[in-house]
Amino acid sequence: MSLFHFVVLAPFLMAVILPFFYYKFRSIHTGWFLLPLPLVLFLYIATYIPFGGGGMEPVIYSVPWVPSLGIDFTVYIDGLSLLFGLLITGIGTLVVLYSIYYIANKQDEPLQNFYVYLLMFMGAMLGVVFSDNLIVLYVFWELTSLSSSLLIAYWFHKEKSRYGAQKSMLITVSGGFAMLAGFAMLYVIAGSTFSIQEMISQAGTMVQDPLILPAMLLVLAGAFTKSAQFPFHIWLPDAMEAPTPVSAYLHSATMVKAGIYLVARTTPIFGLTQQWFWILVIFGLVTLTWGSISAVRQTDLKGILAFSTVSQLGLIMSLLGMASAALHFEYVDQDTMYVTAAMAAVFHLINHATFKGSLFMAVGIIDHETGTRDVRLLGGLMTIMPVTFTISLIGLAAMAGLPPFNGFLSKELFFTASLNAASFDIFNLQTLGFIIPVFAWIASVFTFVYSMMMFLRTFTGAFKPDNYEKHVHEAPWGLLISPIVLGSLVILFGLFPNMLAYTIIEPAMQSILPGLTSVGDQFYVNIYHWHGINAELLMTIGVVLFGLAVALTLPKLYGAGFFQRERDPLNAVYDTGLDQLVVQSQNITKAQMTGRLRDYMLYMGVFIAGLGLFTLFRYDALAISLEGQGGIPIYVWLVTGVLLACTLALPFVSGRMTNLILLGAVGFLIALLFVILRAPDLALTQLLVETVMVVLILLSFRHLPEMTKESKRLLSTSAKAVVSIAVGTFVTLTALSVHAYRSGADITPISDYFVENSKTLAGGYNMVNVILVDFRGLDTLLEVLVLGVAALGIVTMIKLRMRGGEDV
Amino acid sequence: MSNLLLLPVLVPFLAGAVLILLRNHPLIQRVSSAVIMTVMLLISIQLLYTITTGGILTVELGNWSPPFGIVLVGDMFASMMVLLTSIVGLACLFFSFQTMARIREKFFFYPFYFFLLTGVNGSFLTGDLFNLFVFFEVMLISSFILIVFGGTPYQLRESYKYVVINVFASGLFLVAIAFIYGATGTLNMAHIAVQVAEMEQQGVINVAAILLLIVFGMKGALFPLYFWLPKSYYGPPAAIAALFGGLLTKVGIYAIIRTFTLIFVHDTAFTHNIILALAGLTMFFGVLGAVSQFDFKRILSYHIISQVGYMVMGLGLFTPLALAGAIYYIAHHIIVKSALFLFAGATQKITGTTDLKKMSGLLKTHPALAWLFFISAISLAGIPPLSGFFSKFALILSGVEEGRYIIVAVSLLVGLLTLFSMMKIFIYVFWGGPSLKRSDYAHIKLLPLLAPIIPLVALTITLGLFAEPIFVFSEGVAAEILDPSIYIDAVLEE
Repeated sequence: MSLFHFVVLAPFLMAVILPFFYYKFRSIHTGWFLLPLPLVLFLYIATYIPFGGGGMEPVIYSVPWVPSLGIDFTVYIDGLSLLFGLLITGIGTLVVLYSIYYIANKQDEPLQNFYVYLLMFMGAMLGVVFSDNLIVLYVFWELTSLSSSLLIAYWFHKEKSRYGAQKSMLITVSGGFAMLAGFAMLYVIAGSTFSIQEMISQAGTMVQDPLILPAMLLVLAGAFTKSAQFPFHIWLPDAMEAPTPVSAYLHSATMVKAGIYLVARTTPIFGLTQQWFWILVIFGLVTLTWGSISAVRQTDLKGILAFSTVSQLGLIMSLLGMASAALHFEYVDQDTMYVTAAMAAVFHLINHATFKGSLFMAVGIIDHETGTRDVRLLGGLMTIMPVTFTISLIGLAAMAGLPPFNGFLSKELFFTASLNAASFDIFNLQTLGFIIPVFAWIASVFTFVYSMMMFLRTFTGAFKPDNYEKHVHEAPWGLLISPIVLGSLVILFGLFPNMLAYTIIEPAMQSILPGLTSVGDQFYVNIYHWHGINAELLMTIGVVLFGLAVALTLPKLYGAGFFQRERDPLNAVYDTGLDQLVVQSQNITKAQMTGRLRDYMLYMGVFIAGLGLFTLFRYDALAISLEGQGGIPIYVWLVTGVLLACTLALPFVSGRMTNLILLGAVGFLIALLFVILRAPDLALTQLLVETVMVVLILLSFRHLPEMTKESKRLLSTSAKAVVSIAVGTFVTLTALSVHAYRSGADITPISDYFVENSKTLAGGYNMVNVILVDFRGLDTLLEVLVLGVAALGIVTMIKLRMRGGEDV
Repeated sequence: MSNLLLLPVLVPFLAGAVLILLRNHPLIQRVSSAVIMTVMLLISIQLLYTITTGGILTVELGNWSPPFGIVLVGDMFASMMVLLTSIVGLACLFFSFQTMARIREKFFFYPFYFFLLTGVNGSFLTGDLFNLFVFFEVMLISSFILIVFGGTPYQLRESYKYVVINVFASGLFLVAIAFIYGATGTLNMAHIAVQVAEMEQQGVINVAAILLLIVFGMKGALFPLYFWLPKSYYGPPAAIAALFGGLLTKVGIYAIIRTFTLIFVHDTAFTHNIILALAGLTMFFGVLGAVSQFDFKRILSYHIISQVGYMVMGLGLFTPLALAGAIYYIAHHIIVKSALFLFAGATQKITGTTDLKKMSGLLKTHPALAWLFFISAISLAGIPPLSGFFSKFALILSGVEEGRYIIVAVSLLVGLLTLFSMMKIFIYVFWGGPSLKRSDYAHIKLLPLLAPIIPLVALTITLGLFAEPIFVFSEGVAAEILDPSIYIDAVLEE
């Protein structure tokens, strides 16, 4: 175990002891005990940053966990995991601080739950990004889904919270299960390893395997559900029921980027296929556009931000798709053209975390101070909440892609990358590639629109005090610190983007596109505002102008109705799907579990006869040997004939007495057969059983209820007849075949031993008795026990009558 | 040759017999059954240790050497099952002290309990096919009584079906034994295996194999033979339902795995593919049943069926990895399933119902119960890093390696639906607004209720976090049962 393993495990350990702090120091907000942890982790992880700028050597620490299944807990620290690790702990610190002021330490507030979930999430997320072993990654991955659901349902008395929690769990876990199957396929393709780095080292041969495509789709199912890609994004807006610090942390800055992480991490493997490029680009662009258009229709501030997150995740996803194209060219390190997409992806990931985090926190503040997040009620907060206003303005401008904020830079890079991609001479991009910048531009327009509208409807206009239940004023400083920090980062990264260039961005790019530069060399990363008047700038100007026009005319064009259908139409698929799942499974279950014994016997009979006869004929096992059957005397035929007749008559007679007589006849005839076949012990037993049976039934005859007529429908009756006959035929044919088989095989049965030795070894002349009491005495002992238990059971059944509900 | 092997059968047998006499002394009954059950646990630990370190143990009863007399055989697989029996036996017994109406103690509850365990342990340890039938009978007659125990109208109605179907199964079992004896001339399982191998498992022997599969499938609740299970397990008290839910079907599964690794292994392309298909159908229809229900105990009952499918899936895939997964799964399942039924009982004790729609908000009032249940529930669904994950993972990995993608897909889908239905319980029972007033539950002490369950939950966590030794053990078991000669030599060559 290295120290770095404890970085991942520390949140879990803390989660175990945290409730103790909660109960012991009830007057102090539990968040304070937790706050130092992410901060220390952040600082520790930050020591791995290559401040010298000379590139980053990956660091590996490994401990075995379940080595027989190929599962080692291997920590792998490179540019990509470092970036995520810093995001998780850095934003984690700010979110914890923010939450201390956001969730008041009231008497009934289950803070220990909140922080235990949050710690579980933090540890799980660190585990996802630092694990080199796919299965360990998967383990942590599911833990993030789980803790996310628990956090969404933190206020579990609310119906919507429960709905959102269930939805997010079902969608992300189903993706996770698919991903697990994908990982298993990768294991098979890679020749029995779960190590990502080992897979990357043999990626060239792996992509030759036909299994790579299903593996890729399954892994992507995991990534897309987690990162809310179209059409799986529908859980994210409902996840907004979580307390806002959670939304800021999990559902915008970190957890939803786990899918992005996985895609970036596996790009060196899957990126070698053409499908990877197209799937990512198409899904990314559709998500980007769909999300940004949907965001415009929202009236809930968090709803806007949720769809905006969906859209931005799509943007990053499409950039990663474009980035993978670089793997198909040689000498790319000479030319930034191919790696711009990777650079943009990494940079935008950071930027999005900062501006979206600050916006969520600002919205949380508005919600906290005004009691509502509905833009139809809000308005005019500019003067009342000036600090929140400033933070929001910075965040919104960055989101809309305006200079001099970091969002502008990455948006420009996104345009550059999309224009570059359209010009590549692979994958038919020369003909189809133009859609990439077109989609990018349309989506950016809507991004601008919802940013604009969010700004206008919240902060401008008239302030109407009647809309609020509380007295509205600026938030306390405790709530403001975290968004101010993030907002400052938005400006800082906007003005000095190159402080990240070789410390964070370039090392992360090396992880996404390994082996493209010669050893010791680096990608060229230089981000700046002014590129001269080029296509990207014109696109941005177009976005602003067109966006302004749309933002101003849209409400007038469509009126309020446009904003009332804010639920994503795809939810209908999920909702009806879930309803139908329950309804259909009820139908299926009711159809089999009728509660009627005769149905059960019928189903089982079909199965037994069907499978049995099939086996019998499949093996051509049916054999009837008439050897030794010649000397059957006439009276045996007679007895057997009567026996058969009595049995066959049974189903056709009515009346309990007749039934009884026929059954008795069958029993006594069998006893007679035993006599004929020289088995006096058996005959005696059979006679006893029959006699006792008759006596018992006669004794209880008076108490038996009236026999009710079964409604005899021809179809069901004949079905039962057919099945009964089939089962009977199967058993009979098999018995005959066994007999025939036995006559043909050379076997000495163990009964020969009993015949020879019952006198000499066991000292008894009656072989049956010797078998019963000596050779197989245990069987007899146990059968005695069975009878004893039955007797006791009868006593119990007669005497112990409970109503139900006396105990559990 | 070691008499240690007799103890798991002999101790409960004698205990049950003596406890009948103590009918009117409930306290003595309780104390002595607790002591006996603890002793059984120690015995089974010792047995597992002895067998794991020293190899297979056999006992020839009446000193009649096999194949002529009855022989008890303890290998790693059997002794593992015996240990699991003791673990859940102990947990359920202690739970019954807390929850069961006192009147039941006067009606031989403890004797029935121990006779049931006699039958279960005997079924695991016997090396003789007919003796297996007899142990099954002991188990079944005890289970008949326990399932109808209390005699409510619901119990009487449902256990009638249980009895009829199981007696029918016993009849078929007898027929199958007759066929096998007819074809091979022997009853000793090792000897049958030798004979079947010599005959290269031809023709009618396959029919007998299929018939045996059907018989054990009825006991083990495979598709489409599980109809007796869901409703009959709803009737008896939680302690009994937990014991049944954990153990009884697994006896059938054990018998399937035993016979289809020891005896019928020469035409796996046919037999084991049928098993695999049944596995898929079993888990699928089982989980649909669970999805359709809105009752704590009924959901759990249907999940027995779906989970049994996974164990049989391991057998159907028939690779060392898959069998190890199946073994692991059995251990996981017995522990978790019993725990879940006990949770249903504890919840019922607090709320007075098992109907999900009548419960709400217990997370606030009973957080310990909620979280312990949550862990068990997600473990059942196969969420890492609990025991359910690693067992399922081994099965899935093996399925992918073998290219059996359909069963892999089915098992993952079933896992998801399992999660869905278990979350349904959690959402209804533990989330939501409070449904209970403090005065409703204040008198119920939670700790004694949870005490028997906590060790089981701790086990599922341990089996997950420290999966390596468990998995190595499962691989050992799988290796042992995949090489029938080990078993055969231990029984026949002495």
